[in-house]
Amino acid sequence: MAKTGTYASILIMWTYIARNILQRIVTLIIVSIVAHSVIHLAPGEPSQVDPSNPRMKPSDIENIRAAFHLDDPLHVQYVYWMRDLFTGELKSFKDNQPVLPKIWQRFLNSLPLLICATLIIWSLSFPTGIHAAIRRGSTYDRTTTFTAYALISIPGFFLSYIMILWVVNTFNVPVIGMKTFGMEDADMVFRSMDRLWHLVIPSLMSAIGGIAVLSRYVRSQMLEVVGQDYVRTARAKGLSEDNVIYRHALQNALLPFVTMFGFLLPALIGGSVIFEQIFAWPGLGRLGYEAILARDFPVILTINFIAAVLTLVGTLVSDLLYAVVDPRIRLQ
Amino acid sequence: MWIKRLLILVPLLLAALLLQSYFWVPTYETQTKGNPKRLLKYIEASSGDAKILNPILNADSASSTIVGMVFEGLVDLDENLALRGRLATNWAITEQAYLLVDPDSQLPDGKPATSARIEQRIQYALDTKAFPELNSILLGMRRIPSELQTTTIDVRTRDGKNKPKTTSVAISITIPERLAFTLNRVDQDFFDRLTPVIGNQYGTHFRHNKYLNNVDSVDDNIVAQVKAQLPSLLNVTEHNPEILFHLRQGVRFHDGQEFDATDVKFTYASIMNPRNISPRTSDFEPIKAIEILDSHTIKIIYKRLYSPAISAWTMGILPEHLLNDTAMQKEMDERNLSEVTRETFGMRDSTFNRNPIGVGPFRFVEWQGDQFIKLDRNEDYWEGAPEYEQYIVRIIPDSLIQEVEFRTGAIDFYSTLPHQVARYREDDRYQNFSNLGFGYVYIGYNNRKPLFANPQVRRAMSMAINVDEIIEYIMYNEAERVTGPFPKITEWYDESIQPVPYDPEGARTLLASLGWEKNTEGWLEKDGNIFEFNMVTNSGNSIRKNIMSIAQNAWKKIGIKCNTQYFEWAVFLKDFINTGDFDATVLGWSMGIDPDLYQIWHSSQAGPQQLNFVGYNNPQVDKLIVRIRQEYDRVQQRTLTHKLHKIIHEDQPYTFLYASKGTRILDKKIVIVEPQPDGTERYKKIYPLKHGAIQFYFNKWRKLEHTPAF
Amino acid sequence: MATNESAMSTQQEIAQLPPPETQLQEFWRILKKDRLAIFGMIVLGLLLMLAIVAKFTTEWVVIFDPSTVRLPDKFLPPMSESSTNLIPSEDRPVFGVYLCGTDELGRDVFARMLQGSFVSLSIGFIAVGISVAIGILLGGLSGYYGNVKLGFITVDTLIMRFTDVMLCFPTFFLILTVVALLPPSIYNIMIVIGVTSWMGTARFVRAEFLSLREQDFVVAAKALGLPEHRIIFRHMIPNAMAPVLVSATIGVASAILTESGLSFLGFGVQPPFATWGNILSDGKGFIFDAPWLFFIPGFAILIVVLAFNLFGEGLREALNPKLRRR
Repeated sequence: MAKTGTYASILIMWTYIARNILQRIVTLIIVSIVAHSVIHLAPGEPSQVDPSNPRMKPSDIENIRAAFHLDDPLHVQYVYWMRDLFTGELKSFKDNQPVLPKIWQRFLNSLPLLICATLIIWSLSFPTGIHAAIRRGSTYDRTTTFTAYALISIPGFFLSYIMILWVVNTFNVPVIGMKTFGMEDADMVFRSMDRLWHLVIPSLMSAIGGIAVLSRYVRSQMLEVVGQDYVRTARAKGLSEDNVIYRHALQNALLPFVTMFGFLLPALIGGSVIFEQIFAWPGLGRLGYEAILARDFPVILTINFIAAVLTLVGTLVSDLLYAVVDPRIRLQ
Repeated sequence: MWIKRLLILVPLLLAALLLQSYFWVPTYETQTKGNPKRLLKYIEASSGDAKILNPILNADSASSTIVGMVFEGLVDLDENLALRGRLATNWAITEQAYLLVDPDSQLPDGKPATSARIEQRIQYALDTKAFPELNSILLGMRRIPSELQTTTIDVRTRDGKNKPKTTSVAISITIPERLAFTLNRVDQDFFDRLTPVIGNQYGTHFRHNKYLNNVDSVDDNIVAQVKAQLPSLLNVTEHNPEILFHLRQGVRFHDGQEFDATDVKFTYASIMNPRNISPRTSDFEPIKAIEILDSHTIKIIYKRLYSPAISAWTMGILPEHLLNDTAMQKEMDERNLSEVTRETFGMRDSTFNRNPIGVGPFRFVEWQGDQFIKLDRNEDYWEGAPEYEQYIVRIIPDSLIQEVEFRTGAIDFYSTLPHQVARYREDDRYQNFSNLGFGYVYIGYNNRKPLFANPQVRRAMSMAINVDEIIEYIMYNEAERVTGPFPKITEWYDESIQPVPYDPEGARTLLASLGWEKNTEGWLEKDGNIFEFNMVTNSGNSIRKNIMSIAQNAWKKIGIKCNTQYFEWAVFLKDFINTGDFDATVLGWSMGIDPDLYQIWHSSQAGPQQLNFVGYNNPQVDKLIVRIRQEYDRVQQRTLTHKLHKIIHEDQPYTFLYASKGTRILDKKIVIVEPQPDGTERYKKIYPLKHGAIQFYFNKWRKLEHTPAF
Repeated sequence: MATNESAMSTQQEIAQLPPPETQLQEFWRILKKDRLAIFGMIVLGLLLMLAIVAKFTTEWVVIFDPSTVRLPDKFLPPMSESSTNLIPSEDRPVFGVYLCGTDELGRDVFARMLQGSFVSLSIGFIAVGISVAIGILLGGLSGYYGNVKLGFITVDTLIMRFTDVMLCFPTFFLILTVVALLPPSIYNIMIVIGVTSWMGTARFVRAEFLSLREQDFVVAAKALGLPEHRIIFRHMIPNAMAPVLVSATIGVASAILTESGLSFLGFGVQPPFATWGNILSDGKGFIFDAPWLFFIPGFAILIVVLAFNLFGEGLREALNPKLRRR
């Protein structure tokens, strides 16, 4: 290819990226408007406007409503929200604290759980999936298939409770929260091991659905690749079966998984509500849940907004990775 | 093949790494494993997070637990529910009473009233001891000359868009001559006692308009509104109760600053500052003025009789030096706030609410939202530092998870559900407590609805429900039947009143006598209308949900059709309770120690967003309620409350169900330590007080390595 | 053999398209071999029958009464008999036996599970019905009328951007928010689940329509001047249904799971409706006292959702010839 061609393709690449980003920004704005309208139009009051409080007078409630612009028209409220969000002055209805640092801190709490769950998912799914693909139709394959379906079908909280009660009743060890309370002054080793232990069960529980889905996906990808010509060629060359499977087939089967990294971050918010609630894990999902209960509009909206940003960045990353991995996409 | 080995090794190593951590974690029996300091920490579970750690702003139970440890009030309640001095060492309650001289009134001797004549007549009465009660109350009297007063009052007007708004108008009035009386105690009947002296017609025709000099407006409507408000500005008689507090010397805030009278005055000013939107204003609004006599003596003057006022001082005292205008200005500068934010900046916005500083037994250390709040002991506490080094509240929303954490020793204390207590009663590894508290649970009927307007109908509804069965099976006997609106543990509650009996047959007969007959489908019918209504409550409370199902089932048996619904708390309040748009509801009240029922039962409190949401209206009750809140004498109060209890019981605006016991469970290794005169220590089992609290001696609690034998 | 089949050009496939019966037969032949799918199908068949029977016996002709409160009989384990001396005879369960025990109010758990089966299934089916309807409508519009311009953007862009917007929301969080804010009602839950889950269907349908639109039989139909609705409803939608059917089957499973998750968080269906989700979440508080209240609905949900998933996967394999070689 000529040099000009390379430049041209780089240019195409950049316009592709720029167009993508622009589209996503437009999408993001629409998402935020939709979310804002849905939340403000629904019934329910922010909890600080709590009329159950026997000592609060209607005039106090009026004051609070005014302070939070609750009586302004929707689009004005939207502008206030956006202004405060980007100047970092957005405050929670619930406790008047700035929203962004709060979310950032919860994000940091959710992160170890996400990392540990991802490690479990990816390290378990590949061996099981590949093995099932190699021994297609065997008892092992059929058992893992059935188990995978059973694991997707079980309500997450049902399994988690069974697990918690079993561990607590049998071993009498704490499993709830990020660490055992009252361990702050303990030995360094004890403390870190304690934190690790508290990661085990929640991350395993939130990984279960992922293991089932991913191992099925690995299996079908492997089956797809194993049927391809170059694998046959490799076999025909007399390479050992292991060599064929783990070098030639696996490497090719891996490509689509690269794009899956893009979707890891958004998973932080959506799927984690139930598990964080069960394990009293102070993460983003639980923050969102508590905000919903308290009608803490700024927090709900901001979490939603951040989730949308993460999703959009995720799809952008995966689109770009796809473009890198699969040259045909680039021409579009 | 290394990839294959890697694929097998990685999961195995990961599993091994994760699982080995189990061996380092403490269990219930080995709580001190690798961590001897565990014994010095007290960890308790709370189902909700605190909202705001400020004694004048908080309104939720999680916040008040913490606030109670960090702050301290002037007084609190002792073991017998009587007031006990904390930051105040002692106090005295007296009264100043004022009488306007009304020259248009005639005294009993036929002469027009003047200050000199009235004074003379009273003095004569005192000298002749004609009314001995007067002699025992009245300490002195003096004349106050007439004075000119300019003030502003609020009136309702309409703005350019014809929307209602509030505006202030400046007015000038002449306050006529007055007589001031100093009384040795608060006496709401003082002016009645004066009637024979000044005549029973005195002041009844007081011409308020005569004393209005000028209104800063030409609008007739505004002038009319001002005139309508005059009687409240110029009271012919006025009671001003006064409390004189002597404050404790040498008490320091956690930052070292000494506590004094300015802090008390500042706390009051902060509550009344409209910018702070304090939920405590109704308790402090009756205050007329606060006078600082010296750094540790302070006098509170009330503008009217309001007997709950003194127990309002159980509220924690704020540090003035950290929250006054200078401090707020400094905080705004440090946080670099924009002009818009500065305009509305109040105590609610201050970081103080997340880093409170008080004089209490524990110092605030850290608050991780929805996770925990940590306090350290105040080594400098005026009553001596507590035994525990740390006080931690963990936020665990689910009661089952609280139980699980308790069993593993990760928390020392939590409030159990009744069915959990039933299980723990048999378990000797733990100590459990169940005692009546200040709350009760009821089914409220909307008295405004024609269906429930008749007390007989409400009585029949109550008769259909087997409350004893609810207490036995739903509450596992962790509750006691109640018959009226006062907390059962207080003296205001009249134990002699018998509950409405469980008698579905009787209920049916009663309803039949009112014209409700069974129709072909089995429902009660009158004038072609079926006896049908909706009952609502909030979601998330399984006991209320169960009560609703039981009541629905019980009424179905006598032919009443009840549809049930439950709503999330905010929606429930907004759409049903606040608007009064419901037929019946299951709810609970948590009462205070004061016998003041004004907000819940007075007919003036039945508007939207007010607490008499069932719309109960009984003039006799209204009168009693007002009398009770103006009565400062306990014995008198008790007589009045028993009367009130009886009337409300007969009216059955609610079906009063039960007062539930606070059920709590505690690690058995925790005991009360009592130092003996000879320097040794003695351990005592923790016991609950009369009002159910077990933490009265919390500062003397200690956790031992092993369960002690008692 | 499979490779040959898929290598056939589409025109040939269409030209040689056997009559519908044989297609069905072929589908059945493949499905029959999949034992797990057959297991799923049988369970689903039984469940559907059960749900209809349940509707009859708990509401119209009350044989199993799910709402009678019998406090003295609370927390009886499965297969225990009603205490005859405390319970009036008209309140006793059928045969005097509680098949699945009683709950904290002494209500018959078997009757509640029966009632719940109908409610849970209808939530699943109606939610998926809504989602499929929206999906087909938007996907079809986008695929068929995609090039029509509305001002400066095409219909396709508009709909696909909107789909992207919907995909941006964290689904469960969105459902939770909306359900929490709306007045609680079983219909709101169905609608919310339906309205937040149509995006996949819309994309499938659009893709199918795009490829079908170019195919000869559609081009020919257009050339013959057949009315558009006939082309769309008779020729295109039936051909695009296969992936929709599969995703709908699996969608029912996930709707049932979502409902149970909502119930767990306290935003589930209101009484008097009992769903498996709220029986389960009510039961979890009593797991030490009455474990059956937790395990019976839990396993019921597991089995039903599993059946839907297995059947859905079987359908996918049977309907999609390309997958047959796997």
